[in-house]
Parts: sequence; C-alpha cells; structure tokens
Amino acid sequence: MTIRADNRLLDGAPMQPLDCHQCGAEVEVRKASWHQTSVQWSSQALGACLERRAAHSGNGGGPDHGLFPGCTALRESIVRAALDGAIPVPEE
Amino acid sequence: MKGWVTVTAVEASTTGIRAIEAEAVPTRFARGWHCLGLSGQFKDGKPHTVNAFGQKLVVFQSGDGGLNVLDAYCRHMGADLSKGRIKGDELACPFHDWRWGGDGRCKKIPYARRVPLRARTAAWTTMEQDGLLFVWNDPEGNPPQPEVAIPRIEGATRDDWTDWVWQEIVVETNCREVMDNVVDMAHFFYVHYSFPTYFKNIFEGHVATQIMNGLSRPDARPPGKGPRMLGNSSVASYHGPSFMIDDLTYHYDDMDLKSVLINAHYPIDGNSFMLHSGIIVRHSDKLPREGAEAMAHKLGEFILKGFDQDVEIWKHKTRIDNPLLCEEDGPVYQLRRWYEQFYVDVADVRPEMVERFEFELDTTRPVEAWKQEVEANLARRAAAGRQA
Repeated sequence: MTIRADNRLLDGAPMQPLDCHQCGAEVEVRKASWHQTSVQWSSQALGACLERRAAHSGNGGGPDHGLFPGCTALRESIVRAALDGAIPVPEE
Repeated sequence: MKGWVTVTAVEASTTGIRAIEAEAVPTRFARGWHCLGLSGQFKDGKPHTVNAFGQKLVVFQSGDGGLNVLDAYCRHMGADLSKGRIKGDELACPFHDWRWGGDGRCKKIPYARRVPLRARTAAWTTMEQDGLLFVWNDPEGNPPQPEVAIPRIEGATRDDWTDWVWQEIVVETNCREVMDNVVDMAHFFYVHYSFPTYFKNIFEGHVATQIMNGLSRPDARPPGKGPRMLGNSSVASYHGPSFMIDDLTYHYDDMDLKSVLINAHYPIDGNSFMLHSGIIVRHSDKLPREGAEAMAHKLGEFILKGFDQDVEIWKHKTRIDNPLLCEEDGPVYQLRRWYEQFYVDVADVRPEMVERFEFELDTTRPVEAWKQEVEANLARRAAAGRQA
C-alpha cells in the first residue's frame, strides 16, 4: 500500500516545528482548533524528553502496559505557542 | 463500449468531482501475533480447522499439552490433516496415517520403513497466555521478537475477575476497516451512540493507542430503573496489527465497573477476517461474583451489538485509500502509515511508520482554563526565579 498524505496537511496548515521549553526537544505541531492538537515526534526528540525518560525508567506492567500518555511540559509549551500565535489556531 | 465514458481521477479533477481511489488489497498478511481465541476450545483431543492468512491451518494439542499450528494439507497426497486424529504427540493424516509433529516434521509412516527426505510442512510459532492461543505470522519466516510480545492481562487469571466472555464473527471485508476504528472519533457518536469528550491517539513503535473518555447519551438509552450509567473511560492499545487490549471502566452513579475488553482479529484472506471480542469484569462489593458474571454477559451482548453496527457499514461501503477528511476527524492517514509497518519486510520499515505521533481532542478544558493555567505556571516560575 502506498502511504498517502493527509488531505488536511495538503490543503490546510502544515505541521510546524516547536521546541519544548523544558528539554529543547524539537517536535512538529499542528492545531486545528483550540481543543485539537497533533504532535509528530522524531526518535531524537523522544530521546531528549525528560518526562519520557522518567516514565520509562520505572517501566513495568500495570494496567496501561507501560503507556506514556504524553509530556506535560510539551503540552504547556504548545499551549503557550498557541497563545503567543507561534502556532496558529484557526478561528472557530 | 460506445456511449460510455470512463471517468478517471484526472478527468474527475477537471469536473471538480472527488474520485475515490483504492489499490487492490495487499497480497501478504500482517507480521505479528494473532489471537485464535480461547485456548481451551482446542484442547478437546481433536484437531481443529482454522482458515487464516489465506490458508487452511490445523490446530492440535500434542501429548505434552502444547498447542501446535500446522499447514493443514498433508505433504504426502494433500489430504486435510484437520480431519485426521491426534495420536500421542503427533497428528495422523486421515488418508494414509502419516504422523506429523508440532514442529512440522513427519515423524513416522506406519507402513513405510523410512520417512522420505523433505517431509516437512509449515509450522507456526504459537503462544498460550491468559487463556488465549496466539499464532505468530511472519511472511519473512523470522521468529517473534521479544519487544512485540503481547502484554499479560492481569485480571484474566485472577479469582476476583470473571472468566472470559468470548465471541467470534466472520466479517466479509478486508481487516483494514476494523483498524480504522482506532482513530475514527466521530463514528463513535453516529454509529455507537457514545459521546466522546476526550480523545487521544498515540502511535509509537508497534503500538497504537486510543484513549477515550465519553459520556452516556440519554437519547440513546431507554429511561429505566437501576443504576444510571454516566459514561466510560477507556485506554485501548493494539499491540501489533491485530490484538487490542482495552482497559475500560464504566462509571455509574453509584459505582465504577472495571473491565478489560479484547478486540482482536485474524485475516481469513484478503477479503474477510475473523473478528473476536472478549471481556472480563472485576468483582466488586456492589457486583460480587454472580453479578459480575451476569454483567460480563450483558456487556458481551452490548459489544456484539456494536460489532453489528460496524458490520452493517462495512458490508456496504467501498474500500477507500484517499478518505476526504475534515479537521474534526481523527488521524486516519497517520494510523494507516503506522499499520503499513506490518505489511513490509522488517528491513523496509521506515522511521515515519514507527515514530511517535499524538493526536488529542480535549473538549473538557475550556480555552479560558488553559490561559489561566499558563499564567499561573508563569507566575509560579517567576516567583521561583526571584527566590533563586
């Protein structure tokens, strides 16, 4: 199967680079609304993420099977970038 | 052909009509562990036929108690081994009694002095865990890697949880359709009558996760007595291409009900698959053993109803490689990019297929609250900075 491009990335805003204020990891971010966020990590960024590292040092079973739900520092960086206008948020 | 015009994608673009595009279904089957269902059903002393991966397989229990999976066709004259009998550690062909071991080798031919060379058939690696039988499929023929092991399901072997309520149905379409559900946020409202308020997908490595918190829809439920269901919280992950474990909690006005839901499948061929659902429920003060068992069966029925709702759509829909998505839809393309890793050789798995991707929809946090949170954090940090 061919991997195809998302029509929303072709016709709308692209993913944009953003550095996390905590660890400096560079990810790509896109917001389609205030409520909706996409984040593309690279393996390099994931390696740099402090929260991720902390989560995986204690990696065990548990009901979530070692799932890392996301980085709160990055989440905050994204909110700030959205409020600053660095990451555009389409008007609703 | 006179009088007919075939509209190609190019022509369609000049007319403004969106063309639906679809390549043929893949000719290979996904690399990964596939669940064949409750292992107990294969332990009745008989061989079992399983149609999977475009082939006919036989599952049989050898004398040592292990479950084995072989290609069902005897290499001698092509008879169906799943119609044969188990004799000790071996499976005996119904045609000429050739004896096949779980390793795929012919061990004995009762009427021959020796077994001919190359008397070997395909054997699948199997794994039994938490009352379930798994089979490893790899078109390249490599053994399973430990990183892709199916996690243990704690409640499956505990006394304070119910037994599995397990169900299987054949679905006549390619199994990509069931995978799309991982991201298809909006269909939960329209097809399954739930009301997601928080939704997140995470794809990383061989795992694809869906986190969803939803409210019950009063418009979809007959008013009645008894506890009122307020909503549910679900963390569901596909560990590989076909086996999803969903830690699912139902919230009632007077209790929380903890359950684990399995949603799994194996391809029968390119155009059909066997869809499995399994559920276990944890006992509680409000819902001791019998109550929990009854609830597990009730939920099982509810899940089957959900499958029926999906199947009704799948039966009539067309395969589409270029879905036209709106901003409110989930990450269908990114999910399919992740899914593609199981259909290429390991050497051809590209970083984009396995690198972490997140998609989040959070309707529970008003924008105002976000702003306040950021301001509070900035103030806190500024204060900390002054102290330092």
